[in-house]
Amino acid sequence: MLSNNLNSNHRVAFAAVADFLIPAYNKYPSASSVGVHTKMLDEVLGHRPDIIPAFLRGLAVIDVGNLSSTINVLYKDDPEGFSAISLAATSGYYMTETVRKVLGYPGQESVVYDAYEVPDFLINQNLENVVRRGPIYRPTPVE
Amino acid sequence: MSKSNLSSKKLDRNRIADVLIIGAGPSGSVAAKHLAEAGIDVVCLEQGHMPDANKYSGRRPEWELVSQKQWHPNPNYRDGERDYPINTKESAVHPLMFSGVGGSATLYAGHWTPFMPSDFRVRTLDGVADDWPISYEELTPFLEEIEREVGVSGLGGNPAYPPKMGYPTPALPIGKVGSKAAECLDAMGWHWWPGTNAIPSLPHNGLNACVRRGTCMSGCPEGAKSTTDITHWPHAIKAGARLITGARVRKITTNDAGLATGAVYVDQSGREREQKASIVIICANGIGTPRLLLLSANSRFPEGLANSSGLVGKRLMMHPFSAVQATFNEDLESWRGPFGQNISSYEFYETDKSRGFVRGAKWGIMPAGGPLGATSFVGSKAFTDPDAKVEDMWGTNFHDMVERRFGRSMVWGIIGEDLPEESNQVLLDPTLTDSDGIPAPKLLYKVSENSERMLRFNEERCVEACLAGGAIETNVFHQMPDTGWHLLGTCMMGNDPKKSVVDQWGATHDVPNLYIFDGSTFPTSAGLNPTATIMTLALRQTRRLIEQRQKQEVA
Repeated sequence: MLSNNLNSNHRVAFAAVADFLIPAYNKYPSASSVGVHTKMLDEVLGHRPDIIPAFLRGLAVIDVGNLSSTINVLYKDDPEGFSAISLAATSGYYMTETVRKVLGYPGQESVVYDAYEVPDFLINQNLENVVRRGPIYRPTPVE
Repeated sequence: MSKSNLSSKKLDRNRIADVLIIGAGPSGSVAAKHLAEAGIDVVCLEQGHMPDANKYSGRRPEWELVSQKQWHPNPNYRDGERDYPINTKESAVHPLMFSGVGGSATLYAGHWTPFMPSDFRVRTLDGVADDWPISYEELTPFLEEIEREVGVSGLGGNPAYPPKMGYPTPALPIGKVGSKAAECLDAMGWHWWPGTNAIPSLPHNGLNACVRRGTCMSGCPEGAKSTTDITHWPHAIKAGARLITGARVRKITTNDAGLATGAVYVDQSGREREQKASIVIICANGIGTPRLLLLSANSRFPEGLANSSGLVGKRLMMHPFSAVQATFNEDLESWRGPFGQNISSYEFYETDKSRGFVRGAKWGIMPAGGPLGATSFVGSKAFTDPDAKVEDMWGTNFHDMVERRFGRSMVWGIIGEDLPEESNQVLLDPTLTDSDGIPAPKLLYKVSENSERMLRFNEERCVEACLAGGAIETNVFHQMPDTGWHLLGTCMMGNDPKKSVVDQWGATHDVPNLYIFDGSTFPTSAGLNPTATIMTLALRQTRRLIEQRQKQEVA
């Protein structure tokens, strides 16, 4: 056992499923090539231990020699198991620097701006058009 | 009531507080600050804890992953130590909330949308539901004051509202997402306005300026989203208010005269304690408040406290909600915040009966988040085809889908007014309990035909606008279940004790020294995010309580 009650067979099976779901394609690497079944899997399950039972249950029905068929059965018969496996694959994949760089995702970042800068919608008068159409609220009776 | 003696403010559990507040969310925090600053001895019991901003995940790579569990707004998913479970098996909308100082606003998006004039007069104008016993005009001075405490950002002059005082900080940048959304609405000639948000663009009242990190709905790690742990509690504590966290209130106690005498609670260690008080104010939201009143039934109040009208727990409103994801063939940097509404539209807010329903909806545009946001929204799965095969959504199709949507999508949130119905209600579950053995709430809630028509109409208009603005793909998630952010109506406010639970000042008709200051008192829900109106109303009611304190009947 390596960690999280996962053995090497689990990781091999998960790598196959993860690559079925996220294969190498154009500029994008495959899931297993960025370690979703090794370091990233430990990281993901470390953050989300709640999905481990469903993850293992789902993995148990996967036949690596018959991936398409068994994954579709899992998807239909055990949505929670499929969800745990697909979440482990996608979240681990997009947490890697390699994939974020290819995708053009810097992560949730801090952006500097000038709060007093005049926005474009005031310069190009787009908002002025909204104002010109007049009030749209219904006045209420004076009491 | 006695004036506070600051030198005696050590924790004396036997001391009778002037005012006991239950719940340290937006309304309870407003009450605590202003009462304490008026020299009144305040104790607040909060079942959660003071938030630790270092635990918010927005700066870490696992942000999207943990947003689907540890920071999910649904307490049944999150299953945190301080959460209580809610039986939602018979509820079409799942309630969302957070236990902690600052309340559920810890996980809100900060949309600051005060109710409009017509919202207070729906019976007079549209012949449905009930008018409020107060008006928009009466609330406006308190709204303007609260906006300064909250640090709202926005641009004045919105033609959707009557003229009022400007905002304390400039509007946040609307970003490429907001610009594109405005382009869509301009193409239709429809109303839009830069978003007003409880997120300051400049440092304000202990808050930092927003840095557009875009993780608002899992707690703001920048200390820039306005929550009362930052904006109100430092002032309240400085003025002498005592805040007891980890305290789950089991019941409100009463005496033989039918007056409230305090509350029994379970502390963090599981010990039962009692806090006595001259006045009790409940601020536990539209589910927690009726739950507590029903839990407090006794021989004098066999149907629950303050429930002679039979309306405690009834008329639950949660705002059925739809989301429209629109994808464009250009870079919108749509992982960037605020999250937050970049712009909003009130084009279809007011009633037009030719549409087949009454009242209306507000649209707010939000970014789409990180790559997992291609198929999820606010922690929940969304924008997928439930009938598709695995190969339709995964493999190379998955890459194509993420590349098409990531950074290029936006999500319209459509909030429709939820009209009150007595059959939509909060009950006590006969078997389910929280971890302290206190009975949990059970919801009975169906989406009305009016809401159904309203959402369908607005979804169709929204898609039209997106296509007019050049969208290459639109996906509608009709009436998302995990969207019960707004918990309203279950302890209705009104003038007639037979038809309401509290008066306009939040005083319960049945128990003169028991008050309710939260959104449970709303007679109607409007089609807007309610926090602005909840805090405004709480300020008005608190001021009245301070003014009338010499006349207040106490135990």
